[in-house]
Amino acid sequence: MSFFLAVEISLREIFAHKFRSFLSMLGIVLGVSSLVATMGLTAGIEKGTKAILQQIGGLERVQVRPKAVETEEVDFWMISPGRTLTDAKAIRESVPSVTHISPELRNWTPVTAGGEEKGYNVNGVFPDYSFINSHSLAAGRFISDLDIANANRVVVIGNQIAETLFPSASPESILGKTVLLQRIPYEVVGVFSLYEREQDKVRRERGVKSARPARAGKNRWDPFRQKNESVLTPFSTMFYDFKSGANSQHTQETVPLEQLAFRVGDLDFFRESIDQVRAVLDVTHRGVDDFDFDTREDMFSQMESSMRATRISGGLIAGISLLVGGIGITNIMLASISQRVREIGIRRAIGARASDIFVQILIESVAIALIGGALGVCAGIFLMQVLIWVAPGENMPVLTMQSVALSVAFAFLAGVFSGIYPAFKAAALDPITALRYE
Amino acid sequence: MTLLDLQGVAKIYKIGGQEIRALDGIDLQIGEGEFVAIIGPSGSGKSTLMHLIGCLDTPDEGSIIVCGNDISSASSNGLARVRNREIGFVFQSFNLLPRFDVVDNIALPMAYAGVGARERRERAEALARKVGLEERLANRPSQLSGGQCQRVAIARALANDPKILLGDEPTGNLDSKTGDAILAMFRELHAAGKTVVIVTHDPEIAAVCDRVIEIKDGRIRRDYLSPESVR
Repeated sequence: MSFFLAVEISLREIFAHKFRSFLSMLGIVLGVSSLVATMGLTAGIEKGTKAILQQIGGLERVQVRPKAVETEEVDFWMISPGRTLTDAKAIRESVPSVTHISPELRNWTPVTAGGEEKGYNVNGVFPDYSFINSHSLAAGRFISDLDIANANRVVVIGNQIAETLFPSASPESILGKTVLLQRIPYEVVGVFSLYEREQDKVRRERGVKSARPARAGKNRWDPFRQKNESVLTPFSTMFYDFKSGANSQHTQETVPLEQLAFRVGDLDFFRESIDQVRAVLDVTHRGVDDFDFDTREDMFSQMESSMRATRISGGLIAGISLLVGGIGITNIMLASISQRVREIGIRRAIGARASDIFVQILIESVAIALIGGALGVCAGIFLMQVLIWVAPGENMPVLTMQSVALSVAFAFLAGVFSGIYPAFKAAALDPITALRYE
Repeated sequence: MTLLDLQGVAKIYKIGGQEIRALDGIDLQIGEGEFVAIIGPSGSGKSTLMHLIGCLDTPDEGSIIVCGNDISSASSNGLARVRNREIGFVFQSFNLLPRFDVVDNIALPMAYAGVGARERRERAEALARKVGLEERLANRPSQLSGGQCQRVAIARALANDPKILLGDEPTGNLDSKTGDAILAMFRELHAAGKTVVIVTHDPEIAAVCDRVIEIKDGRIRRDYLSPESVR
């Protein structure tokens, strides 16, 4: 018997008992929809976390951080200059795979534009800073090499700072205005875009922003808060205005950095690049092991493992409902066969082989499972839409083709496994007994 | 040419340790173009004999050859193939599929023979016309009378153009007038070249057949040409 005919017969059988078939599909529908939904959910979380990671500099960003030296090295510790501009220049010259490098000075500085003074961390930076930290400008320009060379008193501010200093002013209108950093006048040359998470953006666009600070306050973790509150000056200007007084021996090259970050150009050579940087810094630090590297790999692998846990638990729930659904199908198929013993006998008498009967019952069970699977995918998508509507955000569930394919594959398997026993039973019926069955 | 050749056939059932020889040493040849009735009281073994001739079962002893196929050593699939191609069953209780319409019921054996959908439909419609059901193509068995159902069953039996038509009390569920019509149809088919074997307990039906085989207690008691056919 041809495959298509078997499918046609199965579908006819399924639609002849719509309610019964629907009931037997229900387990599969639930299983598949929860599978689609959980996979969409984890994919969404993954996407969201990756997006945030990207916006705070991506996986390629590495920070050099100071490290307490070993006890036996304490005597040598003084001979290391620590992280300095010399480090940055040495890395730039010796490690070609490092594409960007950003040494930073930082000073807690009162900032005002005529109103109340408020303290912020002001950073003295190089042009690479903007790229390494994935900044984008809403208006104006970033700090340039010329600013560094001339130690210009210019400042680039984050959107939050702009809002605080110049309430309700457009970014363009702020350009050229004067900001006082510890009463020294600086000219605003650039304003960054507002960085926000997807959920905050949606909230803001829906106009419920006012409700949020009252509920969550500033304690709520916002990965972009630091970026939105940046106040950036040229490295040299920061040195001359705020750092040179503390120790008259210090030059721009030897002043201790508050931050040293770099970006590796090719992630495939990430480890090698780090090793090269370590070798360079060993020289500039005169062999003292007083530095280490902070990479985002740890964060990334942590994210991966938590994602895996979510996926496994979701998969487990879906697996159990698929199992239950499969048992449901087995049950209904067995009932259906005992109602159709006579029919099976007739089919055998007019020339159906046992394998024809087997295939027919199996196809019927798989068809039920696949229809259930299709309904489940629809239900899962619907569920995800509800979730998106209820809780918009960076972690919005995303529908992936893999999740749909996987769910349908699982439904198919459930159909096959739940059909095997009934199909076997039907095929093993003795034609004569089956024909006489009343 | 001999279509059915039974040599020393026995069928033994074991019930509670007791051996019952439902058939015991049957030797029987039926040639092409014969019109045979197998009669006997209930429990005589005629149903068992019909199952063996119809390739629904295999003998415990002896050999059966149906249209050149050795049934006693055939596999389950081999039996199915012979049932499909060489034998057309007509049952007492029609045995139509209730959810299939007339055309689909007739076409069913062709589906198992691997005939394509379009040809199946054309041939099934032609057969339905042949048995006089051209008005009823889309009806289901529940919408047909008993006689019409049996005509559908005959059309289905003819679907793969088998050599042998095997009737199991084909008029048992019909009133005498319709029964006669069905018998007449068997006669016509016989005239057209089919070999017909009818299993019945009714001597009146046996009387219209050319050859009568009487079974009793699992053995052939008499095998004679019907007086009517000897002209």
